[in-house]
Amino acid sequence: MPVTNQALPSGYALLNYRIDRQISRGGFSIVYRAFDETGQPVAIKEYLPSSLVLRTEGDVVRASSAENLTSFRYGMKCFFEEGRALAKINHPNVVRVLNFFRANETVYMVMRYERGRTLQQQIQMRQDQMSERFVRHVFMQLLNGLREVHTHKILHLDIKPANIYLRTDGSPVLLDFGAARQTLTTNRPKLAPMYTPGFAAPEQYRDHDRLGPWTDVYGTGASMFACLAAFAPQAADARVAEDHLVSAKKIWSGQYSDNLLEVIDWCLRLDPLERPQSVFALQRAIRDIAPVKRKLTFLGNLKRLLFSEIGA
Amino acid sequence: MRFTIFQESRKGAREVNQDRIAYTYSRETLLLVIADGMGGHVGGEIAAQIAVRLFIERFQQEAKPILRNPLKFVQDTMLRAHAALGSYANQFSMLETPRTTCVAVIVQGGVAYWGHVGDSRFYLLRQGRLIATTKDHSKVQYLVDQGVITPDEVVHHPDRNKIFSCLGGAADPVIDLSRRTPLSNGDLLILCTDGLWSVYPHREMATMLTSTPILSTGPKMMREAEARGGPEGDNLSAIVVRWGPETLADEPTTTDNLELGQFETQVESTLTLADRTGKDRDLSDDEIERAIAEIQATIQKYRK
Repeated sequence: MPVTNQALPSGYALLNYRIDRQISRGGFSIVYRAFDETGQPVAIKEYLPSSLVLRTEGDVVRASSAENLTSFRYGMKCFFEEGRALAKINHPNVVRVLNFFRANETVYMVMRYERGRTLQQQIQMRQDQMSERFVRHVFMQLLNGLREVHTHKILHLDIKPANIYLRTDGSPVLLDFGAARQTLTTNRPKLAPMYTPGFAAPEQYRDHDRLGPWTDVYGTGASMFACLAAFAPQAADARVAEDHLVSAKKIWSGQYSDNLLEVIDWCLRLDPLERPQSVFALQRAIRDIAPVKRKLTFLGNLKRLLFSEIGA
Repeated sequence: MRFTIFQESRKGAREVNQDRIAYTYSRETLLLVIADGMGGHVGGEIAAQIAVRLFIERFQQEAKPILRNPLKFVQDTMLRAHAALGSYANQFSMLETPRTTCVAVIVQGGVAYWGHVGDSRFYLLRQGRLIATTKDHSKVQYLVDQGVITPDEVVHHPDRNKIFSCLGGAADPVIDLSRRTPLSNGDLLILCTDGLWSVYPHREMATMLTSTPILSTGPKMMREAEARGGPEGDNLSAIVVRWGPETLADEPTTTDNLELGQFETQVESTLTLADRTGKDRDLSDDEIERAIAEIQATIQKYRK
């Protein structure tokens, strides 16, 4: 079994927080549920890149070599970038940072703890198809959050269902900006960017100069696609070589409004310039959609015909 | 605030580099500082290091996001550095107080302010012409002023290394402060130590840098200057800034965040001690502490 970083144990006292349990483990961090001194739950993200084994026992993070330490410190810059970015954003649809501190020779970000589940879990759990109303509702709100993020000139760069959290009241929260700054570390192989196939835009694989709001638009489109399909669209790097992606319009015609499907296809264009160029443009396009396209009955059709003839 | 910045320090033919250079900036204010330490052993290096560090630290305390009085900031910081060097020498019972020259430039609101002690220089070049500079606190400069020697004789004069004002040492420093000098887009701001200016006159710098990307010609100039110094060559250092938006070639990420976030009270810093760009450098403990403090301040600020 490969050696992995040891998570902090339950009950561990970290600053004025008490660790409850590990919630998730990503490429760069471990996220814990913890309680503050008033008993309020918080989510604490511990910077601990999984590619660098730094803690096999105890609590203190130790680099095993000088090279590891360099990579570790370098990746920490990215963690700070995330903290910096999030600290400025106070929006109901973006995860809120409450505190940031240093301990155990690494750094921690404390975030508001949200109850609910990720959109990814929601997709996997559902037996029947997601309703158009649900998809619209989630993404319109999510895009409000993403717009706020872009207003601060920050790109998320890892929009996918697993990073979209649904509160119990159904409102979405955009999580995990960790990947956001990883593009800068391409010369550090051990901390190379980890993109999620299917959700990352083609320019994230090779054309870093072309990253922009449209890159997050691609991830948003791919996430909407996944809501409908329950699987991710074909990975963008494979699409560039040979595009097998069947358009949403073709797959779900009749089950969802044409406009929703057209918007998804629009977001998933390989050429960044052909996608909606801003979140606002995307929101406008979604808003323009007639919510439900009513099937006309024979009688209704006749009525319409009559009305048009008498010029009513 | 937009600018392109290049900085480099080279050892020349010396064993150690006693020059220290750094820049840092908040969203609204830029600080550039160079110090050339003097004296044998490690004294000079320590002196230059202390002066530069003190500038950076005080800047980060005071520029929130602007300095209330840039010239006073320069003067006060130099006086404090002078005092700090004295107490450092005391503390370690050094026979000789570490000493250093110092030039510091502040740009704030499109206006430059500077102060200097000793013979490290600041040049302000506009369209290839020298429009402002510092006047060395040196014996040879005095001789030039008295008409005893010509400016061209300075670099070969036997007393060319004698300066009468510095930070550290028995006498209080003479600190020259500039007037407020509005900048134009395209202006070149050059800070350099005598190791550079003595082998590379400002006219040549103007020719070299005025209409070329400083990030590629800067290193070229430094290599050439080092070669000219030969086997006797002194340490040589430069910070070159091209002011203005259109030539901005490698804006540091931090500036991006600052500018585009359109909020004011952050102090961001790209601290670079004696290395060229600092882009790929490890974080020091200080920088980690500072980054955390800065994030915490931001969290407080945007808390509902």
